[in-house]
Amino acid sequence: MAEKDAKATTPATAEAAQKAAATEAQSHDYKEYSVAEFFKKNRQMLGYSGKVRSLTTIVHEYVTNSLDAAEEGGILPDINVEIENLADGHVRVVVEDNGIGIPKQFVGNALGKLLSGTKFHHRKQKRGQQGIGASYATLFSQITTGKPTKVKTSLGDYKIYECDITIDVKTNEPAVKNEREYSGKYRGLKIDAEFSEVTYNRSEYGVYEYLRRTAIANPHVQITLIEPNKEIVVFPRASKEIPKKAKETLPHPLGISTSDLMDIAQLSKARKISSMLQADFTRVSADKVKDLGALCPGIDLERSPKNLTWPEAEAIVKAFGQVKWIAPDMDSLILIGEKQIEMSLKNILQPEQMKVVCRKPRVFRGGIPFAVEAAIAYGGKSGSWVSTDEHGNPVETKGELLRFANRVPMLFDAGTCATTIAAKDVDWARYNLKGWENLPVSIFINFVSVYVPYTGAGKLSISAEEEIVEEIRNALMECGRDIAKYLNALDRAKDQEHRRSIFFRYIGEVAECINDLTGTDKVLLITKLKKTAEEKTAILLASGEEEAEGLEEVGTVEDEDNGKAEE
Amino acid sequence: MAAKKEAAQAAPKQIREYDAETMQKIQTLAAALLQEIEKGENLHIDIPVRGASNVTFNEKTKKIELGDKFARRYLFNVAHARRFMQTLLVASYVKKDLLENNLTATLRDLYYAKKHTIPGTKEDTIDEQKESDLAIVDFEVALDTFRERLHLRAEPKGRIAGEMVVTDRVKDKVDTIDLSKMGSGGWAVPSIVEQVEFKDVDAEYVLVAEKNAIFDRLNEDAYWAKQKCLLMTTGGQAARGARRLLKRLSSELNLPIYCLTDADPYGWYIYSTMKYGSMALAHESDRLGSKDMKFLGMSISDIEHYDLRSVTIKAKDVDIKRAEEMKAYDWFKAPAWQREIDKFLDKKIKAEIQSLSSKNLQYISTTYLPEKIKSQDFLP
Repeated sequence: MAEKDAKATTPATAEAAQKAAATEAQSHDYKEYSVAEFFKKNRQMLGYSGKVRSLTTIVHEYVTNSLDAAEEGGILPDINVEIENLADGHVRVVVEDNGIGIPKQFVGNALGKLLSGTKFHHRKQKRGQQGIGASYATLFSQITTGKPTKVKTSLGDYKIYECDITIDVKTNEPAVKNEREYSGKYRGLKIDAEFSEVTYNRSEYGVYEYLRRTAIANPHVQITLIEPNKEIVVFPRASKEIPKKAKETLPHPLGISTSDLMDIAQLSKARKISSMLQADFTRVSADKVKDLGALCPGIDLERSPKNLTWPEAEAIVKAFGQVKWIAPDMDSLILIGEKQIEMSLKNILQPEQMKVVCRKPRVFRGGIPFAVEAAIAYGGKSGSWVSTDEHGNPVETKGELLRFANRVPMLFDAGTCATTIAAKDVDWARYNLKGWENLPVSIFINFVSVYVPYTGAGKLSISAEEEIVEEIRNALMECGRDIAKYLNALDRAKDQEHRRSIFFRYIGEVAECINDLTGTDKVLLITKLKKTAEEKTAILLASGEEEAEGLEEVGTVEDEDNGKAEE
Repeated sequence: MAAKKEAAQAAPKQIREYDAETMQKIQTLAAALLQEIEKGENLHIDIPVRGASNVTFNEKTKKIELGDKFARRYLFNVAHARRFMQTLLVASYVKKDLLENNLTATLRDLYYAKKHTIPGTKEDTIDEQKESDLAIVDFEVALDTFRERLHLRAEPKGRIAGEMVVTDRVKDKVDTIDLSKMGSGGWAVPSIVEQVEFKDVDAEYVLVAEKNAIFDRLNEDAYWAKQKCLLMTTGGQAARGARRLLKRLSSELNLPIYCLTDADPYGWYIYSTMKYGSMALAHESDRLGSKDMKFLGMSISDIEHYDLRSVTIKAKDVDIKRAEEMKAYDWFKAPAWQREIDKFLDKKIKAEIQSLSSKNLQYISTTYLPEKIKSQDFLP
């Protein structure tokens, strides 16, 4: 589970669910901040900008929930995603998982209330923006098509629950309709929703690419994608090892986004914002709260966290960044691991050669731990395919940079990302990878930290801190050295192949001449010469030694015998 | 005439012996290759290196000599394979087409005979004649023999006239040729002169001119008859046949040879090639170099002495460059030559032999040559 996004963390428990319910009850106690309305107007903040990106965002929200739900139950996730282009121009998205399902009473809040904090699972381990994520998809469906989101779920207790959900935008309350309950064997969650203003394609920003990368970073997951043209793409499971869960710790202030803070505020048992900060975060002391208060003079920290507003939360998060904190724990870093990455790359990319490097944890900004996992895969299905032949094999490939933060693929905003900058910084010529952008190469980078310094609200680009760029660069160079060995050997082999072809080319002529000179049978000569040529090339290949060539001086000092008069 | 006939019959026997020897050398080479094939070894031919790095000037013998450096050429070496194949093409042609049929051919004949597309490829065995020419020289030096023994000839070049009777043969036909009765053109020197026999000779020296025009001038002036000499032209850089003939005239008839070229570095280099041999054919200096040849003219000193300043030509950059190179050659290290080259580099002028015609047309035959020869005013 998302030890990845270890940012938000509350005392995880079954309590959380109860708490959620409690929150629900209290929700009338404070003035509605109409978060639904806010985001209806500001959807680009949540990744809903552009038709392709919006669809990717929707799938991202559902899939991260599915991953969480599966991992929560210690289940190997099977996730099916179906995208269908409907006749009226709408796009139908169906995502189904085999996770632990959602208890009937939480379904409404989980999918029909923004910032409800109804994460009935452990909140700390979430990957995405669940506080808003899936619920916002419900809202997006509703505002673009006017249709409800259909849900089917079961905890695996032979009771299956289905309903249709919409959100009351004014009150940010779920409207659950058409509820059905029946018996059957099922476990997991199936969401079926229609959207408009979205487009499916296989571009590097699309759903296909998102799922492919998700599969690469999560070797324990099996993902099946049914594309609009009914093509079925399976990203098979590479490993049956379920990633270990992150140590349960409170979130560090540096690892918090505004929506996280809003979420925590809703769930907190504390009666004041000041006490919430101390109780629900690690490393926040009374002194630090004072510091924060000084930085946010307009906010009354003695108020109840329940009516914290979005702009206030934003200001506090900004202030978090200005206070000097004791760094978070090192052992909160959860890596995918070298072996797992290897299995995954082998599984998805089937490269001719790859190198995986998991670097030791380091710190940035004077104490925040992070670790870099990197890999370079060459050949096979590596790289992105610009074009394919009729059998679907790559004809033209481009190099690709696969960026991840805590296993979550980052498809957008590559330009400003520390990974991109580090990759540009490497002198690839030294590794025989000059112009890798046009080679069948996949460069994989997973940035692991409890606090990922994203450059924007979209969480799709890592801030180019000097220590981070340097570390990523070192990881890439370490991979590069290994790949270079392979590529050099490949070059040599090509040379040898070239040699062999030259040797063979002249054998016939040489045999003929020797037959002229000695009368020895030509066929016999050819057979023997070919055998020797094979051996010679084989030996050269094995030893990798360069043959001493061009010893010979060809002296043509003057042409006195060319028969041409000089007069 | 009976004596002549006897001599004529002796020659072919000798030539056949040479052929047998050449054949033997080829067989030895082929046997070595065959053995390598049997053992699964890389086929190779050792070829003495030609060119500046393996060429020395022997002060004592006055010859440009080939050193003992050789390069080993392999079949299974990307850089060598093609040339190796071409060398064997030469070997096969020489043995099967020439020696076995007692025929001679030109370098061009060989080029066309062995040029073909290699089956299953788009590559030709030989692209340009230059390639097969180089392969021929490789083969010559590898066998430690020379082109004529391989029955290969270059384009013939050079003419000769004078009081001498020779016999020449075309296969089994023997012709007697009186070089004093060859009209205005003289006798064309064949590309291979091994079979030429010198009979009656009435000459005191050989005058060899670089230029055809000078031969024609002196022939018209009956210079060779008046001066009792053999008159020859090489028509520019001397062909092997001409060089070999000069060498034989010098060594077999003990005739002094005087050389006449333009007063410029290229002319002088033609002289040095006839006298000492050349770097490209260093392996044949022995056969082709007439070490006792003398340089009669023209020199830069001649320009001064005969007051030809008004008819000189300004030296070009290439002339200067050539002169500078030659100044460094060991065989131009004689003080007299160094002085000449220095004068040239200093004055930067050159002159053609024909500039003597500025005096009058026959000045060369009536004044210049007799004076120079009489006073033995030569350069070494």
